[in-house]
Amino acid sequence: MIALLALTETAVALIAPWRAPRDADWAAAAREIRAGFRAGDLIVAAPGWADPILRLHLGDLIPVEVAGRLDDDRYGRVWEVSQRGARADGARRGAVALTRRFGALTVRRVERPAEIVAYDFVAHWTDAEVTRRNGAGATLMACRNVGDRIQCPDISYNFVRRQIVEVDNRLRQALLAQPVPGAFVVVAFPAARLGSKLIVAAGLHNTWMRKEARGPVDLRVIVGAGTGARDTSVTVRNEDGWKPITIDTSALRGQVAPVRFEVSSPAPYARHFGFAAEARE
Amino acid sequence: MKRLSPRGVDWGITFMLAFATVAWLLAVEGGQGFGRDEGQYFRAGERYWGWFEELGENLARGQIARSFSASGIDHYWSDNAPDHPVIMKTLYGLSWRAFHRCSCTGPARGLHPIPVRGRHATLPLFARDSTAFRFPAILFSALLVAMVWRFARGFLPRPAAAAAAVLTIAQPHYFFHAQISCFDGPITTMAFAVGFAYWKSLRDPRWGLAAGAVFGVALGVKHNAWLMPIFLVPHYLWMRRADLLSWLPRRRGGGGEGATDTPRPKRRLPRVPLVFVSMLVLGPIVFFLHWPWLWNAPAQRTRAYLNRHLQHEHYNFEYAGLNWNNPPVTTTRKLIRATSPFVETGLTVPVTTLMLAIAGAVVLARRRRDAAVVAGEPSEAPAADAPSWLRPGVDVDRAPGAFLLVQTLGPIAVLAVPSTPIFGGVKHFLTAMPYLAVVAGIGLAALAAKLTAGLAAGRFADGARLRAALPAAFAVLVCLPAVTETQRSHPDGLSHYNLLAGGFAGGASLGMNRQFWGYSVAPMLDRIDADPASKGTMYWHDVIHDALSMYKREGRLSMTVGDTGFGEEGIRRSQLGILFHEKHWALYEGWFWEIYGTTRPVFVRAREGVPLVTMYRRGGP
Repeated sequence: MIALLALTETAVALIAPWRAPRDADWAAAAREIRAGFRAGDLIVAAPGWADPILRLHLGDLIPVEVAGRLDDDRYGRVWEVSQRGARADGARRGAVALTRRFGALTVRRVERPAEIVAYDFVAHWTDAEVTRRNGAGATLMACRNVGDRIQCPDISYNFVRRQIVEVDNRLRQALLAQPVPGAFVVVAFPAARLGSKLIVAAGLHNTWMRKEARGPVDLRVIVGAGTGARDTSVTVRNEDGWKPITIDTSALRGQVAPVRFEVSSPAPYARHFGFAAEARE
Repeated sequence: MKRLSPRGVDWGITFMLAFATVAWLLAVEGGQGFGRDEGQYFRAGERYWGWFEELGENLARGQIARSFSASGIDHYWSDNAPDHPVIMKTLYGLSWRAFHRCSCTGPARGLHPIPVRGRHATLPLFARDSTAFRFPAILFSALLVAMVWRFARGFLPRPAAAAAAVLTIAQPHYFFHAQISCFDGPITTMAFAVGFAYWKSLRDPRWGLAAGAVFGVALGVKHNAWLMPIFLVPHYLWMRRADLLSWLPRRRGGGGEGATDTPRPKRRLPRVPLVFVSMLVLGPIVFFLHWPWLWNAPAQRTRAYLNRHLQHEHYNFEYAGLNWNNPPVTTTRKLIRATSPFVETGLTVPVTTLMLAIAGAVVLARRRRDAAVVAGEPSEAPAADAPSWLRPGVDVDRAPGAFLLVQTLGPIAVLAVPSTPIFGGVKHFLTAMPYLAVVAGIGLAALAAKLTAGLAAGRFADGARLRAALPAAFAVLVCLPAVTETQRSHPDGLSHYNLLAGGFAGGASLGMNRQFWGYSVAPMLDRIDADPASKGTMYWHDVIHDALSMYKREGRLSMTVGDTGFGEEGIRRSQLGILFHEKHWALYEGWFWEIYGTTRPVFVRAREGVPLVTMYRRGGP
């Protein structure tokens, strides 16, 4: 048994380096994808750790907003470049329209109905009206757009801006809105076109800040106005990662309505809170 | 020609194993880059040499007291204090001074941490400065291999003992640390030296004295040495358990007719043996004497050193797909965290070695008291009737199984405590690995004996020569995967995982740590150097300034290659930059995307398809 194991282990050690994908495999896979690529397609690597090599070959087709996407559901066509039999989460759902092998790589194209985005709150971040309010809801401070951010007075870190956030060691494009002591940071979109649901995802940015502090952050989402408004709250902690919430907005589908995000924390020290949201049909 | 005595043969093999280890490590070390810690130890070692240089000058001027003044000491010895004691760093500095090929008055003159006053007269053994720095660590690794062989020869026939020695060095993660001028290789040697000296002290008082000095040297190598007594005392108490059991109430032999009382052994407590007294007395003395930085304020600075490690920060480290940088707070995370040293051992040590170790553990567990570990080798029968504090193992079986169990599992178990930092991964419990290899050697010897006996009883009953050669052939066979895996892993030993994990790719898929401290850039230095954007505006991420200085001193980087500094601002100032793939550095990749305006790298350094370092250019390729 031991002798057989020793021989097997030696053989695998000698053979394994030759089983890894080569540059030529990646180049051929990239050619195949470029030939069939359409705007709005998603390209993913499986396993995920191969993503830098995928972007080396196809990074021009994976802009920041795609690489840092909220989730995979808005993509109807997904190109998966896989090795060693791995599968990407983003390509699990749907019908396989194409499968081609290139050496140690397999290219699959998966097609499924895409969720149509009616309003992308991150892309429309300049539409937001940001205020700092006290516990009773009274406006303490109005904040203003200074170019790369909407800055509130008096507290340097009290701003909202679009940026790449690192949540659970993955990158997302989101709105960074740090909570402040004793107040709510309110990010209001006065006129968002709604679909049947509002997808929100939130998390705590920056691994060193998560190491530094453990305070929870509360996010309240208010869709619509008056008595018919939908009011949803969620608490985000260090361990939650990129926490998704789905809010049913089918009653407001097709309408333009205000959507308000309120960020607060009982322990706001070192809480770099980021969230993204999309209204989807 | 005169035939060597058995003792002579053993010594010949000792030197052959040591020489082969030095040759292997020297042949490959140049491919391995400089981590953050090694860069600092280059700098500190050279500065410590500066103290000796100045001591020589002061001696010539008749002003020797100046070198021992508070400022004369602190000027040199406060470098890398209170982090680590200085035995190895001093050896690294002295080795560099003795063996480098001096181009010190050339363009890199200003990169030395102490002024270069002229061309150094040296014995120029090594073309690179870093090899001269690393040489003492490589010698320590050779010493370990030699000691494992000699220790194992106490229980095992030559093939199995030699295999134990080879299986010690042929472990990818240990091999990585064995060739660099850091402390994890040397402290593994010293942990084994302390254990070996303790073992010999059980029946030889000379080793009882020597063990104290050896322990003192271990204290001067790295703080792991603090734990060594904790792993020796339980073995000692187990070995002398009869003393403790003598205090229990007498057992009655049944209750029926003819029952008799078992004879009461003489009551006594285990004596404190010479070896522990020696370690207690000589250890701190050697430790204090070796470290000049302590001399100016002994109590305060010793406390600072202890606190540095007792309150050590939890650096980021990936394990089981999670990033760990704090003690876990939930029960689930504590349980996952507690598995880390066991799983890391199971996924990094070559599988054949692990299987042999399991077989060896079974052999040790089944061994009867006073019997030999392996049939045909010296027995553990007591050599005397009366105990002695000078030879506390002379009247009892020395319990080799318990000794190897504690020495192997002790360091691993300490790192299983969830509150201990795990940022070093396997390096924090490397001290267990030589003992694991010895246990593997025991397993090999037992299996070889069974195989030989099987052949003798079967169709090869007449094949005496075949049977004689079989243990050696079997030993070579089981060493083959370990040596192959180790060579395969180089120079990225920390990224490598074993057959169970699935190699480099399997380790990455399991979410195991891939690397740390920026050493893996070495194979792409040429590419960086050739890129005009690296001149003045290069972002080096986790490559420390001291490492860059050494790359330039050795001519591996041009003097004009820049360094834009740390973090987000460093990336903002740069045109070209690299990123090391560790889970917690994802934040930095986000900065590259935003600041450089692209997600597309210009180069990815990978091993077997697993990315280790990514290079970005502002604006994209």
